[in-house]
Amino acid sequence: MTFLAAIPSELIHIVIGMVAIMAFVGIHVLVLVYAERKGAGHIQRRPGPFEVGPHGILQPLADAGKLIGKQLFTPTNADPILFWMAPVLAVFPVLLLFVPMPFGPVVTVQEVNLGLLLILAFAGIGVLSTMLAGWASNNKFGLLGAARTVSQSVAYEIPLLLAVLCIAFQKGSLNLSTIVEGQGSWPWQWNIVTQPLAFLIFLVCAFAETNRAPFDLPEAESELTAGFHTEYSGMGFGMFFMAEYANMVVVSGVCTALFLGGWKGPGIDGVWWFMIKVYALLALFIWVRWTYPRVRFDQLLNINWKWLIPLATLNLLGTVFLMKVF
Amino acid sequence: MVFSWLHLAIILFLVLGALFAGGPLALASLLAPKAKGGDMGMPYECGIVPLGNARGRFGVNYYVYALIFLAFDVDVLYLFPVATQYRWTVGWDAFFEILIFLFFLGLAVVYFWAKGVFTWPRKIRL
Repeated sequence: MTFLAAIPSELIHIVIGMVAIMAFVGIHVLVLVYAERKGAGHIQRRPGPFEVGPHGILQPLADAGKLIGKQLFTPTNADPILFWMAPVLAVFPVLLLFVPMPFGPVVTVQEVNLGLLLILAFAGIGVLSTMLAGWASNNKFGLLGAARTVSQSVAYEIPLLLAVLCIAFQKGSLNLSTIVEGQGSWPWQWNIVTQPLAFLIFLVCAFAETNRAPFDLPEAESELTAGFHTEYSGMGFGMFFMAEYANMVVVSGVCTALFLGGWKGPGIDGVWWFMIKVYALLALFIWVRWTYPRVRFDQLLNINWKWLIPLATLNLLGTVFLMKVF
Repeated sequence: MVFSWLHLAIILFLVLGALFAGGPLALASLLAPKAKGGDMGMPYECGIVPLGNARGRFGVNYYVYALIFLAFDVDVLYLFPVATQYRWTVGWDAFFEILIFLFFLGLAVVYFWAKGVFTWPRKIRL
C-alpha cells in the first residue's frame, strides 16, 4: 500500500474520472441510439427495432458491430489526411467537455472556475471537424452541407453565448458548480424562473448547435443526401454519429446546471436529480426531432439574426439593468 | 507556466478523446474488407457521373454571414470577464458601459439588415 500512497490523490481522481467519463459517454451513446430509434418508431406508429434481443434492446450493439465490419473507404479525389482527421476531430474534444460538469455535490472530475468557458471553447472544435469533412471529401453535397453547418453553428453560437451570459452576470461566476449552488432545491428557486427567455433561447440554440431537427439542415437527406458526411462509410460515419449524441448529453447537462438547478431537487439532492433532468431534456430532443418538420435554410438563418440575437441582447441588457435596480 | 492539475486533466482527456476516436477506426481498418477498383472512388452524387470538381466557385452568401459572426463573437467574448465582476460593482457606471458596448454590438446587426444581407434571394450591394 505504500506504493499507492505515493501517488498524488489528484492524479487518482483524474484517472478515475477518465474511466468513469469514458464509460458514461459510451453507455449513453448506445442508450440514446436505442431511445431515438424506439422513440421514432412509436411516434410514427411502428414498433421500431424489435428483432435483436427483447424489444430490440441489443440493436445499438449490433449496429456498432456492423459499423466496425464496414470498409473505411477514401474517395479517389478526396484529401486523405484531412478526410480522416475530421471524424477523429469530431470525437476528440467530447470527453473533455465532461470535465467541469457538476454531476453531484462532489461528483465532478475537476471543479474549474472557468468551467463554462472551457466547455464553450472546446465545443467549437466540432464545427472545425464538420468543415474539414465537407471540404476534404470533394463532394458537392458534402461541401454544401459543410457550408450550411458552419454558417448555422457560428450563427447560433451568439445567442447561446448571450443566454449563458445572463446567468453568468446574475451569479457572478463561470464555475458550473457555483452556479448550481446558487440555486435552491425547489423548482421556483431555479434560474429558469428568473430567466425564462434565456432558457428558451438556450434551448433553441442547443437544437441548432447539435444539428438536430428542426434545424438538421446540414444533413437534410431530401436535398443533400447526407450533407457533410455523404462520403463517409462505416466507422467514419459512426464517429460523427457518436459525437452528435455525446454533444446532446453535454448540452443537456449544461442546460440542467445553468437553468434547472443541476443536482438540486425536492427531497434529497444528489446525482439522480441531475440525471433525471438530463434524461428529460434528451427525451425532449428526441420528441422534437420526430414531431417538427425541417425549416428552410434562409428561414433558419433569419430567425437567428432577426429574432434570437436582438432578443438575447435585450434580455442581457434587461438582466443587467434589473440587477442594478434591485 | 505554473503546473496545475487542471492542465494535466485537459491534456489527459484530450489524449483519451483521440484514442476514443482512433480505437474504433483502427479496429475497423483491421477487420473490414479492402475492396477497390471500378467506380468505387467516384464522389456519390446519386449515381450520376459528377460534372467537374466540387471545389469550384462558391456563393459569397456564406462569407457575409462569417463576417457578422466575427464582429459579434469576438465582442461577446469580452463580456465574460465582465460577467464575473459585474455583481460587485457599485453605482450605475458599469451598467452604462455595458449599455454602450451592447449598443454598438446591436448596430452591427442593424447595418447588415439595412444592407440586405438577411433578404433572400440575395440582393446585396457590396
